[in-house]
Parts: sequence; structure tokens; C-alpha cells
Amino acid sequence: MIIQGAGRTDTVRERADVVVVGTGSGGGTLAAYLAERGWDVVMVEKGGFYRAEDFSQREEDAMADFNGRRGLDATVDNAVFLNYAEAVGGCTVHYWGDSFRTPTDRLARWRSEHGLDWMIESELDPHWESIEHELGIHITPERLFNENNRLVREGCEKLGIEGHAPPTARVDCIGCGWTQFGCSYNRKTSQLITTIPRVSKAGGRIYSDARVMKLLMAGGRVTGVEAALVDRATKSATGSLRVDAPIVVLAGGALGTADILLRNLSDDVVGRRFYINPHYFVWADFGREIDNVTGVPCAYVVHGFRHVQRDSRGDYAGGGYIMLSNHQSPAIAGVMLNGIGAAHTDRMKRYRQLGSVMSVIDEEHPGRVFLGRDGVRRTEFTVKGVDQLKAVDYLKNASRIFLAAGASEVWIPDVFGTTVRSESDIARIGVRSVQPNAQFCAGSHLMGTAPMGTDPADSFAGPTGEAHRVRGLYVADGAALPGSVSVDPSLTIMGVARHIAARLHERRGRAGA
Amino acid sequence: MGAGSDPGGVSRRGFLRGVAGGTAAVAVASVLPAGCAPAYPDRRADGRTLEVLTPKEYAVARAAAEAMLVDVPVSPDDVAGSIDAELALVGEPIVTDMKTVLSLMEHGPLLSFRRKRFTALTPADRREVLEDWAKSRYNLRRAAFQALKGFIVFFAYIDDSTRSLTGFDGAWPERFELPAYDVDFGGIA
Repeated sequence: MIIQGAGRTDTVRERADVVVVGTGSGGGTLAAYLAERGWDVVMVEKGGFYRAEDFSQREEDAMADFNGRRGLDATVDNAVFLNYAEAVGGCTVHYWGDSFRTPTDRLARWRSEHGLDWMIESELDPHWESIEHELGIHITPERLFNENNRLVREGCEKLGIEGHAPPTARVDCIGCGWTQFGCSYNRKTSQLITTIPRVSKAGGRIYSDARVMKLLMAGGRVTGVEAALVDRATKSATGSLRVDAPIVVLAGGALGTADILLRNLSDDVVGRRFYINPHYFVWADFGREIDNVTGVPCAYVVHGFRHVQRDSRGDYAGGGYIMLSNHQSPAIAGVMLNGIGAAHTDRMKRYRQLGSVMSVIDEEHPGRVFLGRDGVRRTEFTVKGVDQLKAVDYLKNASRIFLAAGASEVWIPDVFGTTVRSESDIARIGVRSVQPNAQFCAGSHLMGTAPMGTDPADSFAGPTGEAHRVRGLYVADGAALPGSVSVDPSLTIMGVARHIAARLHERRGRAGA
Repeated sequence: MGAGSDPGGVSRRGFLRGVAGGTAAVAVASVLPAGCAPAYPDRRADGRTLEVLTPKEYAVARAAAEAMLVDVPVSPDDVAGSIDAELALVGEPIVTDMKTVLSLMEHGPLLSFRRKRFTALTPADRREVLEDWAKSRYNLRRAAFQALKGFIVFFAYIDDSTRSLTGFDGAWPERFELPAYDVDFGGIA
């Protein structure tokens, strides 16, 4: 049963085996696993319940309805726009559906640096296989490539750069092009239309519009949560919800989970590492109209630069990112494109001629999440050091790919109006272009704010996902990841959440035996 | 100091208040002769009452929109009105940030050779001020520029009248009637 909290003025009491806070990749996956194995599950979601018929695919509606802080959240210095969803289904409502298993080298790092010995393919592969089957994940077919995707591929092939069509979570996609504003056709297999209905049909109760305010505790263990039922438009509290449960799983995303923990616990690890995979956007004018708005935004991923290259002295020499072919709606593209006045208008007149890619930078310097003196959650993130070099290397290689694909000019959308028409122009791209607020930068892969690990001084939760210091409290979302995944983290989060669910179920079986 | 606290007041609000010398500079500028308050309209151009912005802040947003949007078929009044309406819903810390940006933008030129408020400048001069801030060596000024530009451009280009300019033919649900696959949510209350 989906129970919409919006507008309710009463006080609701619930009791369950487990309460799951958040309904996205982590929460949905874990809750479905447990509910279908006989657990009494209650889910609590801060955002609203929206369905296909609610998705107008207008950018202003999507941002206001289900993007965090109405799509206007940014770091304290406004240098990084933070893109995350608050709705039943979490970020999978607006994600592109790219579904990568965690790279082998990243699992190895997490085993060696954080003691997460179970993070190995032999353990995770069965979970991923189940999830891929349940969500219909498959390699993006050629029919969903728009011209921008094909041009990016063409540029890579001419330059001998590795790239692939990504695995994607959709069934019978019609290629309308605006999956980031919610799928109006129920073809993208988000948590909203997959795991959430499964939880509901297994007897679970899913409360929307319910913002968790308090973790209930007794004797060093968590005993439930208290939430405010909120008005959907204003977010002001109208009613309340209390759920008593011996196990609480936080899966509200790297920001939502950190927000709850910062308000309820004193733990220096929470919010100390905040990964976002910085996105910079490069645009290319092909001098003719191209199809840049249908298909899927990213049918082609450039993998050839994922690994950092170092010179003989060990200094950075390139790489450390992937590129995603990309398209954006007019208003968002307008915010990203540089300039004002007639120059900006001229760029917007060429909207239908533009190809675009975005970076997923595998950063080495995380930011942080904290509460301000006024109690409002804030974030800091600065692209700095070697991460700036990675960003510059990306801008250069993205320019090369578009030139090879036949672009008449490539735009680095910085405040300096950097335009690339030849290799000699590329040489002029430097770190000034990626200084804070020198161009639009975004983060949508939010991770690491309550990480797992074996060392309580460096991690919030242990290898099982249970908090080091609070029994019964688990983390099972992007917050739990110990670092950047280096690719879209959604399938990693789902796999980790399913592993945590399986171990919980196994332990209950042992306890009951 | 834990990660969960606010070291040294480096809050979003405090950070942006450092733009262009901060509130002290604005206070000085606002009492300079040219800085004495002119008459700002006390309501939106469409006659509706302002919800969050003061008349001065609304006038600055409108003046910035007029300068930024050249040959874009939207009214600067409508853009400024949309910003006011959005701020009424989004809440803190974004409201305080944007009000601070607008105040700084209005008084900033008083401290330069221009010696006029932002709203008293011609659109061309306003663009020069905005370009200066965009390329400033101070991150704080760049931040103010990006915040203002982001709001103005976004609320301009969500207007359907701009489709004639961009060639965007609209989202599919507006143009085609295609059924969604059925989903059984198992009960909705």
C-alpha cells in the first residue's frame, strides 16, 4: 500500500520488522528483497508519489516536483549544482538508467583500503544478475542512438578511443528523450515501477511526503523513527508518523541520509567525505540541425580515459574520467551555455545544432556535508588539485572527439567564451576554465557521506552496513559507498543494498533457528 | 571540529555576503548620494503583489533580465516575477542568498567608476557590470553572477514563446498521446 502523507493532519503509528528510509536504488532494492521473504516492511519517503501521468516532462515541473530543493540546490559557494531526486523511487525517477557493475579495480580498492572483503565479483555477481533480470537491463540498442550519440561514437572511432553503448534499465523504450524528467510511459524500469510495487504487494506500507526527523534510540540501539508528514508544495509539517522497528535502514541518498545522521548523532565521520563525480559539459556546433533531443541522452559512453595515466616521475599525465553523451532541455542548456546578451541568444538559436558530452570525473578530493548554525544542511565541494587537471584533460579530449566528428566549433562554456576550432585552440584550455564558478558544474552521483569500512575512525558503518556505534541502524545507499565508483553508481548501490538485505535475512534465519 | 558543524561561519549565506566586500560595503554604498533610494515599483508589472522580493530586489532582477536577455521573446517583468514566485516556494538557504545577490548587484556599481546603482545604468552598462563580475578574480563575484544568470535564463527559456528561437518542438506528452504501460501499485491511499 502506498500511503500519501501529503495533507494528512493526524498522527500515524506503525510497527514493523524493518523501517527503510528512502525509496531509491538502495531502499527499493533492499525493501523488496526483505518484503518478498516475509519481513514486515515500512518505507518512509521524504518526497511525493508521482506516476507516469504526473510527468509532463516539462523541466520546470520536474525540478519543482521531485528534484531536491526544487532543483536549485548548490554548494555553499554556488560552484556546483547538486542534482538529486526526492520522490517515491528516489533518483531512479530522473536517472538516465545507465547500469554499470562496479569496476573490478574499484572493488579491489575498497577491499584493500576499507576492509570490505565481500566486495568481490563472486559475492556481488549473483545479486547483479538478479537485479539486471528484474529491471530488464540490456545494452542500449542502436535504435535509441540519436545523432549526438552517433557523432560522439564516430569521433571516438576516428581517434581510436574506447567507448561502448551502456547497459540500460528500460523495457520497450520509445525514445522520447526526456527520461530525466520522469518516464511518462513506464518504460524506464525505475524503482518507482519495479521494487516499490513489489514491496506494496508483499504487504509493505510505503509512506510518501514523510520527512524523518528523529531516530528513536534506547540502550545503544535504534528502535524506530519519527517523521513529519509534510505538505507537498511547501514542505511544511501537517501531521506525524512514528514507526517502531528493531532495524532501521537509512537509504535516503548521500544527502538525505547524512542530513538525518547529522541531526541525530554525533559522529565525526558523517559528511566528512562527499563524492559527486563532477560533471562539466562541452558543446559542439555542427552547423546543421542534428537530432539531439530524442532517443536516450546517453547511448554512448567514452571509457578510454577512465584510468589515470602517470608519467615516468609519477606525475599526472591524463585520464581519470569517463564521458557520457548528453542532451539537455532548452532552459537547462541555456543555464549551462556561456555568455549573456546577444552572444548567449545566438548560442540558443543554435540549440538544435548542438552536440554535447558531460564528464564523470573520478575525483580524489571529496567535499563535505554539514549543518549550518541555522540547522540547514549545506555542502562544500571544490574541484581542486589533480581533479582540476582531470577536468582540463577532459575538456581537451571532448573537444578533440567533436572536432573529429565534424563539428565546426566546440564550446567550452566558461566565462571566457573559450571556443575550439583546431588543435592549437585546445592547447589554450587551462585550469582557469575549471576554477569555481568559471563555468557550470554539476554533481549527480552523490556518495560517501556515511561510508562502510572496518575502521570506526574512518567509517560510519561496518562491512554489514550496520553502524559501528548504534546497533540495528544500517546504511544501504550511496552514502554507504566508501568512495567514488567512477561510473554511474546506481547498480553498485543496488548490488550493495541487496547484499546487505541478504545478510540481514540470513542472520534472522539463524536467530530464528 | 566534526564534519557536522559549521567552522568559522563559512555558511552559504555568510559566503555570499562576502561578495564585493560584503554587507559593509553595501551599507556604505547605499548612503552615497547616488545611492539614496529611488522610487522602486511596489508590485509586479502584472499588478500582482510581490511574495518574497522587496520592490528594490524585484527591480534589480528585472533590470538584470533586461540586460541578459537580448532579442529573447519574453518579458523581463515576467522573468523577475517568476523568480519571486519560485523563491516563495523554495525556502532557505536559497531565498537569503538570492536576496543578498540582488542587493549586492544593485549597490556594487556605486563603488566603481560608474557611481550609479545597477538599476540606473543603461542595459549595455549593466551587461558590462555583469561581464566584469563573471570574469572577476574573486570567486564570490563569479558566484553571484552565476546564481543570477541561472535564475534568469532558466525562467526565460521555460517560456514556450522561446521555442521559436531555439527550434525546440516541446516534450512528447504535449504532442503525442501515447499510453503508459500499466503498473499495479497494490493500493494507493
